[in-house]
Amino acid sequence: MAEVVVTRRFRHWCLFLVLSFLVIFTRLLPLDAGPGRLPGPDLLVCLAFAWVLRRPAYVPVAMIAGVILLTDILFLRPLGLWAFCVVLGSEVLRRREPFTRDLPFLLEWLMVGMVIVIMTLGYTLILAVFAVSQPSIGLTLIQMIATILAYPLVVLFSSRIVGLRKAAPGAVDNLGRKV
Amino acid sequence: MAARDKGANEEYVRPIRRILVIGLLMFLMALFLLWRIDSPRAERFRAMLVDRFVPSMDWALVPVTKTVDMIEGFESYARLYEQNQDLRRELQQMRAWREAALQLEQENAKLLDLNKVRLDPALTFVTGVVLADSGSPFRQSVLLNVGARDGIQDGWATTDGLGLVGRISGVGQTTSRVILLTDPGSRIPVTIQPTGQRALLVGDNSALPPVEFIEDMEQVRPGDRVVSSGDGGVFPAGLLVGQLVTGPNRRLRVRLSADYERLEFLRVLRSTPADPVGAPGGLVGPGPRLQEPSEIVAEEAADG
Repeated sequence: MAEVVVTRRFRHWCLFLVLSFLVIFTRLLPLDAGPGRLPGPDLLVCLAFAWVLRRPAYVPVAMIAGVILLTDILFLRPLGLWAFCVVLGSEVLRRREPFTRDLPFLLEWLMVGMVIVIMTLGYTLILAVFAVSQPSIGLTLIQMIATILAYPLVVLFSSRIVGLRKAAPGAVDNLGRKV
Repeated sequence: MAARDKGANEEYVRPIRRILVIGLLMFLMALFLLWRIDSPRAERFRAMLVDRFVPSMDWALVPVTKTVDMIEGFESYARLYEQNQDLRRELQQMRAWREAALQLEQENAKLLDLNKVRLDPALTFVTGVVLADSGSPFRQSVLLNVGARDGIQDGWATTDGLGLVGRISGVGQTTSRVILLTDPGSRIPVTIQPTGQRALLVGDNSALPPVEFIEDMEQVRPGDRVVSSGDGGVFPAGLLVGQLVTGPNRRLRVRLSADYERLEFLRVLRSTPADPVGAPGGLVGPGPRLQEPSEIVAEEAADG
Protein backbone atom coordinates (compact mmCIF):
# COMPACT_ATOMS: atom_id res chain seq x y z
CA MET A 1 0.00 0.00 0.00
CA ALA A 2 2.65 2.45 1.08
CA GLU A 3 4.64 1.64 -2.03
CA VAL A 4 1.69 2.48 -4.27
CA VAL A 5 1.40 5.95 -2.75
CA VAL A 6 5.13 6.56 -2.92
CA THR A 7 5.41 5.37 -6.54
CA ARG A 8 2.50 7.53 -7.59
CA ARG A 9 4.10 10.55 -5.95
CA PHE A 10 7.44 9.75 -7.56
CA ARG A 11 5.81 9.32 -10.96
CA HIS A 12 4.21 12.74 -10.69
CA TRP A 13 7.51 14.32 -9.66
CA CYS A 14 9.08 12.91 -12.81
CA LEU A 15 6.10 14.06 -14.88
CA PHE A 16 6.39 17.60 -13.55
CA LEU A 17 10.10 17.67 -14.34
CA VAL A 18 9.50 16.31 -17.86
CA LEU A 19 6.79 18.90 -18.54
CA SER A 20 9.04 21.68 -17.24
CA PHE A 21 11.93 20.59 -19.45
CA LEU A 22 9.56 20.43 -22.41
CA VAL A 23 8.50 24.03 -21.79
CA ILE A 24 12.11 25.20 -21.36
CA PHE A 25 13.13 23.29 -24.48
CA THR A 26 10.48 24.86 -26.69
CA ARG A 27 11.38 28.30 -25.34
CA LEU A 28 15.04 27.71 -26.23
CA LEU A 29 14.37 26.67 -29.84
CA PRO A 30 15.89 29.30 -32.13
CA LEU A 31 12.68 29.72 -34.11
CA ASP A 32 11.59 33.17 -33.10
CA ALA A 33 14.88 34.93 -32.53
CA GLY A 34 14.40 38.58 -33.14
CA PRO A 35 12.45 41.34 -31.55
CA GLY A 36 8.93 42.58 -31.94
CA ARG A 37 7.06 39.54 -30.69
CA LEU A 38 4.72 39.76 -27.75
CA PRO A 39 5.89 37.83 -24.72
CA GLY A 40 3.96 34.61 -24.13
CA PRO A 41 2.70 33.31 -20.80
CA ASP A 42 5.05 31.96 -18.19
CA LEU A 43 3.71 28.39 -18.39
CA LEU A 44 5.99 27.07 -15.65
CA VAL A 45 4.39 29.35 -13.08
CA CYS A 46 0.90 28.27 -14.23
CA LEU A 47 1.89 24.61 -14.03
CA ALA A 48 3.44 24.94 -10.58
CA PHE A 49 0.45 26.85 -9.17
CA ALA A 50 -2.17 24.56 -10.73
CA TRP A 51 -0.47 21.50 -9.29
CA VAL A 52 0.12 23.07 -5.88
CA LEU A 53 -3.60 23.84 -5.61
CA ARG A 54 -4.50 20.26 -6.62
CA ARG A 55 -1.94 17.93 -5.11
CA PRO A 56 0.71 19.88 -3.15
CA ALA A 57 2.59 16.66 -2.44
CA TYR A 58 3.35 16.23 -6.14
CA VAL A 59 5.32 19.49 -6.40
CA PRO A 60 7.75 19.82 -3.49
CA VAL A 61 9.01 23.33 -2.96
CA ALA A 62 12.61 22.37 -3.75
CA MET A 63 11.56 21.17 -7.19
CA ILE A 64 9.78 24.45 -7.98
CA ALA A 65 12.81 26.41 -6.79
CA GLY A 66 15.17 24.24 -8.86
CA VAL A 67 13.20 24.47 -12.09
CA ILE A 68 12.60 28.24 -11.89
CA LEU A 69 16.24 28.84 -10.92
CA LEU A 70 17.28 26.89 -14.02
CA THR A 71 15.09 29.14 -16.18
CA ASP A 72 16.58 32.17 -14.42
CA ILE A 73 20.00 30.97 -15.50
CA LEU A 74 19.05 29.99 -19.05
CA PHE A 75 16.80 32.95 -19.88
CA LEU A 76 19.30 35.60 -18.71
CA ARG A 77 17.16 36.87 -15.88
CA PRO A 78 18.68 38.18 -12.65
CA LEU A 79 19.77 35.03 -10.81
CA GLY A 80 17.41 33.81 -8.13
CA LEU A 81 14.96 36.70 -7.86
CA TRP A 82 12.12 35.29 -9.95
CA ALA A 83 12.65 31.89 -8.29
CA PHE A 84 12.32 33.71 -4.95
CA CYS A 85 9.01 35.26 -6.05
CA VAL A 86 7.61 32.00 -7.41
CA VAL A 87 8.57 30.00 -4.32
CA LEU A 88 6.96 32.64 -2.11
CA GLY A 89 3.78 32.65 -4.25
CA SER A 90 3.58 28.87 -4.31
CA GLU A 91 4.00 28.72 -0.53
CA VAL A 92 1.15 31.20 -0.08
CA LEU A 93 -1.07 29.02 -2.31
CA ARG A 94 0.11 25.81 -0.64
CA ARG A 95 -0.98 27.10 2.73
CA ARG A 96 -4.41 28.02 1.32
CA GLU A 97 -4.79 24.67 -0.45
CA PRO A 98 -6.90 22.90 2.24
CA PHE A 99 -9.42 25.75 2.18
CA THR A 100 -9.76 25.92 -1.60
CA ARG A 101 -10.95 22.37 -2.14
CA ASP A 102 -14.62 23.28 -2.50
CA LEU A 103 -13.96 26.71 -4.03
CA PRO A 104 -15.48 27.34 -7.48
CA PHE A 105 -12.89 27.62 -10.20
CA LEU A 106 -13.55 31.32 -10.85
CA LEU A 107 -12.57 32.21 -7.30
CA GLU A 108 -9.47 30.02 -7.52
CA TRP A 109 -8.53 31.77 -10.75
CA LEU A 110 -9.02 35.16 -9.08
CA MET A 111 -6.80 34.12 -6.18
CA VAL A 112 -4.05 32.80 -8.45
CA GLY A 113 -4.33 35.92 -10.60
CA MET A 114 -3.87 38.13 -7.57
CA VAL A 115 -0.83 36.15 -6.45
CA ILE A 116 0.69 36.47 -9.94
CA VAL A 117 0.02 40.23 -10.01
CA ILE A 118 1.62 40.70 -6.59
CA MET A 119 4.60 38.55 -7.62
CA THR A 120 5.13 40.58 -10.78
CA LEU A 121 4.84 43.88 -8.94
CA GLY A 122 7.21 42.71 -6.22
CA TYR A 123 9.70 41.51 -8.81
CA THR A 124 9.58 44.82 -10.68
CA LEU A 125 9.84 46.78 -7.46
CA ILE A 126 12.85 44.85 -6.15
CA LEU A 127 14.60 45.26 -9.50
CA ALA A 128 13.86 48.99 -9.37
CA VAL A 129 15.18 49.25 -5.81
CA PHE A 130 18.41 47.51 -6.82
CA ALA A 131 18.66 49.71 -9.93
CA VAL A 132 18.73 46.81 -12.37
CA SER A 133 17.82 47.75 -15.94
CA GLN A 134 14.39 46.33 -16.75
CA PRO A 135 12.28 45.53 -19.78
CA SER A 136 9.57 48.09 -20.44
CA ILE A 137 6.63 47.95 -18.05
CA GLY A 138 4.21 47.31 -20.93
CA LEU A 139 5.90 44.06 -21.92
CA THR A 140 5.99 42.91 -18.31
CA LEU A 141 2.27 43.62 -17.92
CA ILE A 142 1.45 41.80 -21.17
CA GLN A 143 3.35 38.76 -19.97
CA MET A 144 1.58 38.89 -16.63
CA ILE A 145 -1.86 39.05 -18.29
CA ALA A 146 -0.93 36.25 -20.68
CA THR A 147 0.13 34.11 -17.73
CA ILE A 148 -3.15 34.72 -15.93
CA LEU A 149 -5.13 33.96 -19.10
CA ALA A 150 -3.16 30.76 -19.67
CA TYR A 151 -3.91 29.46 -16.18
CA PRO A 152 -7.33 27.88 -16.98
CA LEU A 153 -5.82 26.08 -19.99
CA VAL A 154 -3.04 24.63 -17.84
CA VAL A 155 -5.63 23.58 -15.25
CA LEU A 156 -7.70 21.94 -18.00
CA PHE A 157 -4.60 20.14 -19.24
CA SER A 158 -3.69 18.99 -15.72
CA SER A 159 -7.15 17.67 -14.88
CA ARG A 160 -8.09 16.14 -18.23
CA ILE A 161 -4.80 14.73 -19.49
CA VAL A 162 -2.69 14.24 -16.37
CA GLY A 163 -5.76 13.37 -14.29
CA LEU A 164 -4.94 15.74 -11.43
CA ARG A 165 -8.16 16.53 -9.56
CA LYS A 166 -8.67 18.43 -6.38
CA ALA A 167 -9.00 16.24 -3.33
CA ALA A 168 -12.54 16.28 -1.97
CA PRO A 169 -12.81 17.93 1.47
CA GLY A 170 -11.69 15.35 4.02
CA ALA A 171 -10.47 12.85 1.43
CA VAL A 172 -7.96 10.21 2.52
CA ASP A 173 -5.27 8.41 0.57
CA ASN A 174 -4.61 4.65 0.55
CA LEU A 175 -2.82 4.82 3.89
CA GLY A 176 -5.79 6.47 5.53
CA ARG A 177 -4.02 9.79 5.95
CA LYS A 178 -5.62 13.06 5.02
CA VAL A 179 -4.54 14.15 1.55
CA MET B 1 -2.72 4.23 15.75
CA ALA B 2 -2.37 5.64 12.31
CA ALA B 3 -4.12 8.80 13.43
CA ARG B 4 -1.70 9.30 16.33
CA ASP B 5 1.26 8.65 14.03
CA LYS B 6 -0.06 11.26 11.71
CA GLY B 7 -0.51 13.76 14.54
CA ALA B 8 3.05 13.28 15.78
CA ASN B 9 4.34 13.49 12.28
CA GLU B 10 2.53 16.75 11.65
CA GLU B 11 3.85 18.27 14.85
CA TYR B 12 7.50 17.69 13.92
CA VAL B 13 7.32 18.11 10.19
CA ARG B 14 5.51 21.44 10.05
CA PRO B 15 8.08 23.66 11.81
CA ILE B 16 11.04 21.90 10.19
CA ARG B 17 9.48 22.37 6.75
CA ARG B 18 8.87 26.03 7.50
CA ILE B 19 12.51 26.52 8.49
CA LEU B 20 13.66 24.75 5.33
CA VAL B 21 11.44 26.93 3.13
CA ILE B 22 12.69 30.10 4.81
CA GLY B 23 16.24 28.84 4.31
CA LEU B 24 15.51 28.24 0.63
CA LEU B 25 14.06 31.74 0.23
CA MET B 26 17.08 33.27 1.94
CA PHE B 27 19.39 31.27 -0.31
CA LEU B 28 17.60 32.57 -3.42
CA MET B 29 17.71 36.15 -2.17
CA ALA B 30 21.41 35.76 -1.33
CA LEU B 31 21.99 34.47 -4.85
CA PHE B 32 20.27 37.55 -6.26
CA LEU B 33 22.34 39.87 -4.06
CA LEU B 34 25.50 38.04 -5.11
CA TRP B 35 24.50 38.50 -8.74
CA ARG B 36 23.89 42.19 -8.13
CA ILE B 37 27.14 42.77 -6.27
CA ASP B 38 29.53 40.61 -8.28
CA SER B 39 27.87 40.54 -11.67
CA PRO B 40 30.88 39.45 -13.80
CA ARG B 41 31.54 36.40 -11.66
CA ALA B 42 27.86 35.43 -11.60
CA GLU B 43 27.64 35.87 -15.38
CA ARG B 44 30.72 33.69 -15.82
CA PHE B 45 29.01 31.06 -13.69
CA ARG B 46 25.91 31.41 -15.88
CA ALA B 47 27.96 31.04 -19.07
CA MET B 48 29.55 27.91 -17.63
CA LEU B 49 26.18 26.37 -16.81
CA VAL B 50 24.69 27.24 -20.20
CA ASP B 51 27.79 25.77 -21.78
CA ARG B 52 27.12 22.50 -19.98
CA PHE B 53 23.37 22.43 -20.44
CA VAL B 54 22.48 23.64 -23.93
CA PRO B 55 24.91 21.64 -26.11
CA SER B 56 23.66 18.48 -24.39
CA MET B 57 20.24 19.26 -25.90
CA ASP B 58 21.77 19.88 -29.29
CA TRP B 59 20.72 16.50 -30.67
CA ALA B 60 17.09 17.46 -30.07
CA LEU B 61 17.28 21.20 -30.74
CA VAL B 62 18.63 20.89 -34.26
CA PRO B 63 16.15 18.33 -35.71
CA VAL B 64 13.12 20.11 -34.23
CA THR B 65 14.25 23.46 -35.57
CA LYS B 66 14.91 22.02 -39.00
CA THR B 67 11.56 20.22 -39.07
CA VAL B 68 9.65 23.38 -38.19
CA ASP B 69 11.62 25.31 -40.79
CA MET B 70 10.76 22.63 -43.35
CA ILE B 71 7.07 22.81 -42.50
CA GLU B 72 7.17 26.57 -42.88
CA GLY B 73 8.98 26.12 -46.17
CA PHE B 74 6.34 23.63 -47.28
CA GLU B 75 3.55 26.09 -46.52
CA SER B 76 5.21 28.58 -48.79
CA TYR B 77 4.82 26.15 -51.71
CA ALA B 78 1.25 27.35 -51.87
CA ARG B 79 2.51 30.72 -53.01
CA LEU B 80 5.09 29.26 -55.34
CA TYR B 81 3.96 31.04 -58.47
CA GLU B 82 3.83 34.51 -56.92
CA GLN B 83 7.15 33.91 -55.27
CA ASN B 84 8.70 32.86 -58.52
CA GLN B 85 7.50 36.03 -60.22
CA ASP B 86 8.79 38.15 -57.35
CA LEU B 87 12.14 36.41 -57.44
CA ARG B 88 12.51 36.90 -61.18
CA ARG B 89 11.79 40.58 -60.82
CA GLU B 90 14.24 40.88 -57.95
CA LEU B 91 16.85 38.94 -59.87
CA GLN B 92 16.53 41.37 -62.75
CA GLN B 93 17.10 44.29 -60.41
CA MET B 94 19.98 42.49 -58.77
CA ARG B 95 21.68 41.96 -62.11
CA ALA B 96 21.60 45.68 -62.69
CA TRP B 97 23.03 46.30 -59.24
CA ARG B 98 25.67 43.65 -59.74
CA GLU B 99 26.81 45.34 -62.89
CA ALA B 100 27.00 48.66 -61.08
CA ALA B 101 28.83 47.08 -58.15
CA LEU B 102 31.40 45.44 -60.40
CA GLN B 103 32.13 48.72 -62.13
CA LEU B 104 32.37 50.52 -58.81
CA GLU B 105 34.62 47.81 -57.41
CA GLN B 106 37.02 48.17 -60.30
CA GLU B 107 36.98 51.91 -60.00
CA ASN B 108 37.49 51.68 -56.26
CA ALA B 109 40.38 49.27 -56.65
CA LYS B 110 42.00 51.62 -59.13
CA LEU B 111 41.57 54.63 -56.85
CA LEU B 112 42.85 52.73 -53.83
CA ASP B 113 45.85 51.67 -55.84
CA LEU B 114 46.47 55.24 -56.94
CA ASN B 115 46.29 56.46 -53.36
CA LYS B 116 48.33 53.57 -51.94
CA VAL B 117 45.70 52.91 -49.23
CA ARG B 118 46.51 50.07 -46.92
CA LEU B 119 43.42 48.04 -46.00
CA ASP B 120 43.03 46.53 -42.56
CA PRO B 121 44.33 42.95 -42.88
CA ALA B 122 43.28 42.01 -39.35
CA LEU B 123 39.63 41.28 -40.14
CA THR B 124 39.36 37.52 -40.42
CA PHE B 125 36.40 35.60 -39.10
CA VAL B 126 35.13 32.42 -37.47
CA THR B 127 31.72 31.15 -38.56
CA GLY B 128 29.38 29.61 -36.03
CA VAL B 129 25.93 28.05 -36.10
CA VAL B 130 23.10 29.47 -33.99
CA LEU B 131 22.23 26.90 -31.30
CA ALA B 132 19.50 28.58 -29.30
CA ASP B 133 17.99 31.95 -28.59
CA SER B 134 17.68 33.64 -25.22
CA GLY B 135 14.28 32.10 -24.52
CA SER B 136 13.08 35.33 -22.98
CA PRO B 137 11.01 37.96 -24.77
CA PHE B 138 12.88 40.68 -22.92
CA ARG B 139 16.41 39.81 -23.95
CA GLN B 140 17.63 39.56 -27.52
CA SER B 141 20.53 37.19 -27.82
CA VAL B 142 21.52 33.97 -29.52
CA LEU B 143 23.92 31.21 -28.58
CA LEU B 144 26.64 30.16 -31.06
CA ASN B 145 28.42 26.81 -31.17
CA VAL B 146 31.89 28.37 -31.14
CA GLY B 147 33.59 29.38 -27.91
CA ALA B 148 36.88 29.90 -26.15
CA ARG B 149 38.10 26.67 -27.77
CA ASP B 150 37.88 28.43 -31.14
CA GLY B 151 39.59 31.55 -29.80
CA ILE B 152 36.45 33.64 -29.44
CA GLN B 153 36.82 36.60 -27.09
CA ASP B 154 34.36 38.89 -25.37
CA GLY B 155 33.44 41.99 -27.32
CA TRP B 156 34.09 40.77 -30.83
CA ALA B 157 31.66 41.87 -33.53
CA THR B 158 29.29 39.43 -35.22
CA THR B 159 27.79 39.79 -38.69
CA ASP B 160 25.59 37.60 -40.84
CA GLY B 161 27.77 38.24 -43.88
CA LEU B 162 25.94 41.44 -44.81
CA GLY B 163 25.19 43.52 -41.76
CA LEU B 164 26.23 43.75 -38.15
CA VAL B 165 24.23 41.45 -35.86
CA GLY B 166 25.67 42.02 -32.41
CA ARG B 167 28.64 41.48 -30.19
CA ILE B 168 29.96 38.55 -28.22
CA SER B 169 29.13 38.77 -24.54
CA GLY B 170 29.80 35.66 -22.52
CA VAL B 171 32.14 32.94 -23.76
CA GLY B 172 32.00 29.34 -22.65
CA GLN B 173 34.36 26.57 -23.66
CA THR B 174 32.28 25.50 -26.67
CA THR B 175 29.54 28.15 -26.84
CA SER B 176 29.34 31.90 -26.84
CA ARG B 177 26.46 34.32 -26.53
CA VAL B 178 25.80 37.11 -29.01
CA ILE B 179 23.93 40.11 -27.64
CA LEU B 180 21.92 41.36 -30.63
CA LEU B 181 21.77 45.04 -31.54
CA THR B 182 18.09 45.04 -30.54
CA ASP B 183 18.79 43.96 -26.94
CA PRO B 184 17.98 46.66 -24.37
CA GLY B 185 21.55 46.42 -23.11
CA SER B 186 23.17 47.04 -26.48
CA ARG B 187 24.89 50.40 -27.19
CA ILE B 188 26.93 50.69 -30.36
CA PRO B 189 28.76 53.81 -31.59
CA VAL B 190 27.87 54.39 -35.25
CA THR B 191 28.62 56.81 -38.05
CA ILE B 192 25.89 58.04 -40.37
CA GLN B 193 27.06 58.22 -43.97
CA PRO B 194 27.55 60.27 -46.08
CA THR B 195 27.82 63.22 -43.65
CA GLY B 196 29.86 61.34 -41.05
CA GLN B 197 27.70 62.27 -38.08
CA ARG B 198 28.54 60.31 -34.93
CA ALA B 199 25.69 58.75 -32.95
CA LEU B 200 24.80 55.87 -30.67
CA LEU B 201 22.60 52.92 -31.70
CA VAL B 202 20.52 51.98 -28.67
CA GLY B 203 18.71 48.63 -28.53
CA ASP B 204 15.22 48.80 -27.06
CA ASN B 205 13.66 45.40 -27.76
CA SER B 206 12.00 46.59 -30.98
CA ALA B 207 12.87 45.56 -34.52
CA LEU B 208 13.99 49.10 -35.38
CA PRO B 209 16.44 50.30 -32.72
CA PRO B 210 16.60 54.11 -32.31
CA VAL B 211 19.66 56.29 -32.90
CA GLU B 212 20.50 58.73 -30.15
CA PHE B 213 22.94 61.57 -29.55
CA ILE B 214 23.11 62.66 -33.17
CA GLU B 215 25.34 65.73 -33.33
CA ASP B 216 23.38 67.69 -35.91
CA MET B 217 19.85 66.58 -36.70
CA GLU B 218 19.77 68.86 -39.76
CA GLN B 219 22.36 66.85 -41.60
CA VAL B 220 20.81 63.39 -41.44
CA ARG B 221 17.77 62.14 -43.25
CA PRO B 222 15.95 58.83 -43.64
CA GLY B 223 17.69 56.55 -46.11
CA ASP B 224 21.20 57.40 -44.95
CA ARG B 225 23.53 54.46 -44.42
CA VAL B 226 24.56 53.63 -40.88
CA VAL B 227 27.93 51.96 -40.33
CA SER B 228 29.82 51.17 -37.16
CA SER B 229 32.38 53.72 -36.08
CA GLY B 230 35.53 52.59 -34.38
CA ASP B 231 34.89 54.95 -31.46
CA GLY B 232 35.97 53.70 -28.10
CA GLY B 233 37.67 50.71 -29.66
CA VAL B 234 34.40 48.80 -29.32
CA PHE B 235 34.16 47.61 -32.90
CA PRO B 236 36.09 47.66 -36.11
CA ALA B 237 34.98 50.72 -38.08
CA GLY B 238 32.97 50.62 -41.25
CA LEU B 239 30.79 47.55 -40.74
CA LEU B 240 27.38 48.03 -42.33
CA VAL B 241 24.61 48.31 -39.74
CA GLY B 242 21.57 49.44 -41.70
CA GLN B 243 19.59 52.39 -43.01
CA LEU B 244 17.94 55.27 -41.21
CA VAL B 245 14.15 55.35 -41.15
CA THR B 246 11.74 57.69 -39.39
CA GLY B 247 9.81 55.97 -36.64
CA PRO B 248 6.65 57.13 -34.90
CA ASN B 249 6.90 60.60 -33.32
CA ARG B 250 9.65 61.46 -35.83
CA ARG B 251 12.34 59.60 -33.96
CA LEU B 252 15.13 58.30 -36.16
CA ARG B 253 15.53 54.56 -36.12
CA VAL B 254 17.66 52.04 -38.00
CA ARG B 255 16.38 49.33 -40.29
CA LEU B 256 19.04 46.67 -39.75
CA SER B 257 20.69 45.15 -42.80
CA ALA B 258 21.23 41.80 -41.12
CA ASP B 259 18.33 39.40 -41.63
CA TYR B 260 17.14 38.99 -38.04
CA GLU B 261 14.34 36.65 -39.11
CA ARG B 262 16.83 34.09 -40.32
CA LEU B 263 19.82 34.02 -38.03
CA GLU B 264 21.40 30.69 -38.85
CA PHE B 265 25.12 31.13 -39.47
CA LEU B 266 26.97 34.06 -37.96
CA ARG B 267 30.48 35.34 -38.59
CA VAL B 268 32.47 36.39 -35.58
CA LEU B 269 35.07 38.94 -36.69
CA ARG B 270 38.45 38.57 -35.04
CA SER B 271 39.43 42.06 -34.06
CA THR B 272 42.53 43.20 -32.31
CA PRO B 273 42.65 46.55 -30.56
CA ALA B 274 44.57 49.19 -32.50
CA ASP B 275 48.08 49.99 -31.25
CA PRO B 276 47.84 53.01 -28.96
CA VAL B 277 49.90 56.00 -29.97
CA GLY B 278 51.70 56.90 -26.75
CA ALA B 279 54.63 59.17 -27.44
CA PRO B 280 54.03 62.75 -28.68
CA GLY B 281 56.47 62.31 -31.57
CA GLY B 282 59.79 63.98 -32.03
CA LEU B 283 58.67 67.14 -33.86
CA VAL B 284 56.27 68.60 -31.29
CA GLY B 285 58.96 70.20 -29.20
CA PRO B 286 60.47 69.10 -25.92
CA GLY B 287 57.62 67.07 -24.49
CA PRO B 288 58.14 64.48 -21.78
CA ARG B 289 61.20 62.48 -22.75
CA LEU B 290 60.23 58.87 -23.21
CA GLN B 291 63.39 57.70 -24.91
CA GLU B 292 65.71 55.07 -23.52
CA PRO B 293 69.09 56.38 -22.38
CA SER B 294 70.86 54.22 -24.97
CA GLU B 295 68.83 55.88 -27.78
CA ILE B 296 69.80 59.30 -26.50
CA VAL B 297 73.43 58.28 -26.57
CA ALA B 298 73.01 56.98 -30.09
CA GLU B 299 71.34 60.24 -31.11
CA GLU B 300 74.17 62.31 -29.66
CA ALA B 301 76.67 60.12 -31.42
CA ALA B 302 74.81 60.69 -34.68
CA ASP B 303 74.73 64.45 -34.06
CA GLY B 304 78.41 64.49 -33.26
